[in-house]
Amino acid sequence: MNKTLEKRSMGLRASRAISNTIIYIILVIMSIVWLIPFICIVLQSFRVESTWQVGYVIPQKWGWDNYIALWNSDFKKWYLNTFIIALVVSVIQTFIVLCMSYTLSRFRFKMRNGLMRFMLILGMFPGMLTMIILYRVLKDLGLTQVNAVPGLILVYVASSGMGYYVSKGFFDTIPKTLDEAARVDGATRAQVLTKIILPLAKPIVIYTILTAFMAPWGDFVFARYVSFGTSAGMNVAVGMYGWLQLDQIGQRYTMFCAGGVVVAIPVTILFMCLQKYYVEGVTGGAVKG
Amino acid sequence: MKKLFALLLALAMVFSLAACGGESAPASAGENKTDAPTAEAPAAGGELAGTYDITVWCADAIVDLTKKQIEDFNANNTDGITFNATVEAVGEGDAATQMITDVEAGGDLFCFAQDQFARLVQAGALSKLGVQAAEMVRTANDEGAVSASTLDGDLYAYPLTSDNGYFMYYDKSVIPEEDVDSLEKLVEDCEAAGKYFSMETDTSAWYIASFFFGTGCVSEWATDVEGNWQLNDTFNSPEGLIAAKGMKKLVDSPMYLSSSDGAGFDSGCAIVVTGTWAYNTVEGILGENMGVADLPSFEVDGKEYHMGSFSGFKLLGVKPQTDAVKSAALHKLAQYLTGEQGQMERFQAAAWGPSNMNDQASDAVQANVALAALIEQNKYATVQGQIAGSWWDIAKVIGTDVENATDEAGLQAALDNYSAAISDFLNMDPEAAAAWSVIGALCGTNWDTDFPMTEVSEGVFQSEVLELKAGDELKCRQGASWDVNFPADNVVVEADGSYIVQLTIDGDTGTVELIAQ
Amino acid sequence: MKRYSDLEFLKLSKGQKFLYKLTSFFASIPRAIGGIFLAIGRFFRDLGLGIAEEFSDIFTTFKEGDWKTRASFLVMGLGSMARGQVLRGLLFLLFEIVFIFYMVTTGGYWMSMLPSLGKIGPHDEYSAVLDAYTKVYGDNSFKILLYGVLTIFFIVAFVYTWRLNVKQNKIAQEHERQGKRLKSGADDLRSLVDEQFYKTLLALPLTGILIFTVMPIVFMILVAFTNYDGTHDGYNNALFSWQGLANFRTLLTWSGSGVNYSATFGEILTWTLIWAFFATFTNYFLGMFVAMMINKKGIRLKKLWRTILVMTIAIPQFISLLYVSKMFAKNGIVNGLLLNLGWINQAIDFWGSNAHSGLLPRIMVIVINIWIGIPYLMLIATGILMNIPADLYESSRIDGANAWQQYTKITLPYMLFITGPYLLTSFTSNMNNFNVIYLLTGGAPTNAAASGAAGSVGYTDLLITWLFKITTGAEAQYYLASVVGIMVFVVVAFISLVVYNVLPSIKNEEDFQ
Repeated sequence: MNKTLEKRSMGLRASRAISNTIIYIILVIMSIVWLIPFICIVLQSFRVESTWQVGYVIPQKWGWDNYIALWNSDFKKWYLNTFIIALVVSVIQTFIVLCMSYTLSRFRFKMRNGLMRFMLILGMFPGMLTMIILYRVLKDLGLTQVNAVPGLILVYVASSGMGYYVSKGFFDTIPKTLDEAARVDGATRAQVLTKIILPLAKPIVIYTILTAFMAPWGDFVFARYVSFGTSAGMNVAVGMYGWLQLDQIGQRYTMFCAGGVVVAIPVTILFMCLQKYYVEGVTGGAVKG
Repeated sequence: MKKLFALLLALAMVFSLAACGGESAPASAGENKTDAPTAEAPAAGGELAGTYDITVWCADAIVDLTKKQIEDFNANNTDGITFNATVEAVGEGDAATQMITDVEAGGDLFCFAQDQFARLVQAGALSKLGVQAAEMVRTANDEGAVSASTLDGDLYAYPLTSDNGYFMYYDKSVIPEEDVDSLEKLVEDCEAAGKYFSMETDTSAWYIASFFFGTGCVSEWATDVEGNWQLNDTFNSPEGLIAAKGMKKLVDSPMYLSSSDGAGFDSGCAIVVTGTWAYNTVEGILGENMGVADLPSFEVDGKEYHMGSFSGFKLLGVKPQTDAVKSAALHKLAQYLTGEQGQMERFQAAAWGPSNMNDQASDAVQANVALAALIEQNKYATVQGQIAGSWWDIAKVIGTDVENATDEAGLQAALDNYSAAISDFLNMDPEAAAAWSVIGALCGTNWDTDFPMTEVSEGVFQSEVLELKAGDELKCRQGASWDVNFPADNVVVEADGSYIVQLTIDGDTGTVELIAQ
Repeated sequence: MKRYSDLEFLKLSKGQKFLYKLTSFFASIPRAIGGIFLAIGRFFRDLGLGIAEEFSDIFTTFKEGDWKTRASFLVMGLGSMARGQVLRGLLFLLFEIVFIFYMVTTGGYWMSMLPSLGKIGPHDEYSAVLDAYTKVYGDNSFKILLYGVLTIFFIVAFVYTWRLNVKQNKIAQEHERQGKRLKSGADDLRSLVDEQFYKTLLALPLTGILIFTVMPIVFMILVAFTNYDGTHDGYNNALFSWQGLANFRTLLTWSGSGVNYSATFGEILTWTLIWAFFATFTNYFLGMFVAMMINKKGIRLKKLWRTILVMTIAIPQFISLLYVSKMFAKNGIVNGLLLNLGWINQAIDFWGSNAHSGLLPRIMVIVINIWIGIPYLMLIATGILMNIPADLYESSRIDGANAWQQYTKITLPYMLFITGPYLLTSFTSNMNNFNVIYLLTGGAPTNAAASGAAGSVGYTDLLITWLFKITTGAEAQYYLASVVGIMVFVVVAFISLVVYNVLPSIKNEEDFQ
């Protein structure tokens, strides 16, 4: 073996080792920074010596009190509401988004470009403004307060066609020749979709389900309008947001943290299991309109 | 084929329209509601008997108590009223915001803090008290509470508490008791101990006002139901400058913290200026070391000024009803909840300070430390009247401005900013706000110039002689704003000529005529 | 700038190619702006021509039509039924009946009230016997406007359907004359799952968008021309009415002695654009770097690192952001730690410091936003980086390129090219990023110069959080919010249309398939 070459490769190996070490250090620091808030929230949720915010992180006394208090409050109801909303929305929204994106990716019809541009423009209008009117429409349909759950589902689902962008991008990456071959064999368009495209689109289907499932857990602005002070119609975000009010935070703060942990559990588990598909879906779709 | 699609689409719309439109049209078209009560209604007695489904909004802390109180009311009232009540935990701030957003969907009874009172009346969210009910409230409650529930001479709400003020909690292990009278010493103690002095003067005008009231400044607001404001404000004055200097002493300290969170004692605070609601938290943290006192004095140019405060109230409102009987029944319940017994129960359950004067005199109330401090502070307090909602936004800027100021000129600039914003808000003096003017595309102006009108007889206003051209358009408006204007559609001039524009006001309507000269 | 032909372009080095693309990108911006105006002009011209054409077509159809066609002008679907297309005819007829029924029962009322938005307001009545006031409600401006808009939508749909009915009769008549077979109902249905499948697929999503997105937007645009606010809510206190362009004038020209709306708007808009720029690009580049670090050969536990970062996505922001905001409070954990370590001797006011126009809080929200945004970008970048052909790197390494050169010559151009549209959408969604600002600072610290009669404005307030304040505070001014909303829309739409029109990957949509 040539000595200089060996030296060079050793030098390379050494420099790679150094750069890898640096990367490990950065990654460890990042992991700590990213995890700290969650660890703190989890720790706070087990603190039982007091219920307000404190200036230290490690509880002096540990216990399940906050979770028990959570169980005895309206939180159960809020959790169930949110879960139902998330479940139903994720199913229907996925269906709608798939219809929309498949159509816009595969069909060429007269209004297609106009339609896509129109929706692009619609999406630029600040949604904050239309909440009051959506609320009024729901109220006239009797879908607010106690009936907030179907009301919220209706609104989330109705506007979900706007979010076709990512999944259209994904469909665009599936070769059109597949469709054409099937069409030659006598399949209808509907059969092409169900028999050929959908099995290939698993990542984007899962991605859509996942994002649709996650969104309702965090909505505290519009959901607050729709539930309008009625505990039975609240989702977790609205209900728990109420605990941060001036006269409640002193008694509810640790409960709030416990609630946060309970809310995060299903979403985190789901996310971890389906992460692979999420990555495939988002990279197949988001990057290309 | 396209047709079929369009048809389906349109059909979907039809059903949605039919579903929402059909149901609501008759109700809102109701110009001749039959259930409107008349003075000839049969005598009360058993008239109120019945079962009513109602929603009550109150703070989380008193939900259970309120449920119990309503049951007591059901069992004990002599009118045969039974309430089937849903009690929801809706905080005072939220309740007011929600009621203003949508009165119809709001709680039939709701608790709110008095700073929202005028807004709620103007939003049509409060049912006026009957003559007898109003008299009862006036005699039973303290003067401040009554004035907080009064607008234009009428009562619109029931006083619930008289404890919405602030005072000082401190940590006895850090602050020597003899220092609590002096802001300067307190700041020194905090700095020496490396602990925070917490008072929310960055973001809340409610606390900022403390310094100004201390030097004798006032900001007195009065409004009518339509929302026309009258103001006597002396924040921008030599006394105001003294207040700003006092405030500067606090906010310039490195240990100053802008917060009113009682839990701050658990993260580095030695002093927190806040209210009775923080009592349990503070006591839980400090235990025996908890100290309570009225606010301190600050010294400017060798003179002592005791810090003032707002004394405020929580109120119980009744949502306007279309059914006179239900309205009367709800008012009965409200009277019960805010009566002597109701307030005492609330004091016992949640330590809410009563506004009822008999309760205030009771031994139990007198013995409560936090309320005692509040009562002590109330000697220096300004009763929070009907302040415009925008004032809180305008006045809180003082906090930031004072903090930024580097010298006395800077402090004065903060006050100048404040009074400029106030006059912007009021737009002009009340006289001008009532004046009528002609505006439009006329005489070379384009909806940007007001031509004044003068009142020639009761309700009749006339402009100067104006040279108008065919096709010119105009309207009459009040106070140079579009809040009130007539007629609904622009008046269009038909032929060139000299005209006087005449406006005749009749109740809520106005007619505009062009009188050719 | 010099333009290259395709052949010349191919001869350029990679760096020159990239530079060329970049300059041509910026050079095409003015053209794109002009293009937008041209497109608008063209749209209206085509619209006018189209309408004229429609009318002449309707006229000739009637003139040359047989009795079936002519009868269909009045009774929709009659012609179709007479020609044996029963299903189609029945649907047309049903639609007409429903339309007439709706207009007679309720639609007519809403339309008649629309010009005035209601005449009678509410008032109180006192019953001396019961000692209680009752409210007598009048008209409801809000509903009049809402259902008025819906009714107009419906009328437009009716006119459109009527036109289809006429056109369809013309075609059917023509086919009849030529002796062709007319499509049966079964044919119609079959085609809905085949060549017309897209109509079936789009029917449901578009109906939803029409009613729950388009209609509210139309409504809110109309609100900008009224005086709808907390004290004129149209039902409970006072009716609201049409105000013409007065609100726009207020926003654009109103200036009192202290503050004015246009300056406030301008100030918030500037910060919103700065924020959107930094929020988008810091996340973009840092996310890419993190992805590259994790993807680097020889780094172990790739899945663990990713999972840790991704947890920020899984936990609802109102929980994590509120906690983070407390951590950085003046008496929060971070300050406590720094003080204990002796790194600072005075707590830092992360959220409240208003020195240099609130520079510190502004930097803080951008930094915390990195914490939120990196995981998303990391995921996206991971996927894309894996797709870059490995031999590109291999050959560049043989050419002696170092890591930095590889990054600037291969990775970055590739990423930028592919993620162009994503960058655009994330820029606009950052402009409307409500959660991060509202939960972290609520807009604080107060911007003394911009606050006042226009409401309280903070240095970290974005237009969207300002809108929220205007619509929910004690003084809800919906009409002003609508005006601001329209302005936001104009700005966002303008920026994105310009960028959208010059993005290479949008232009060549078909190339990707």
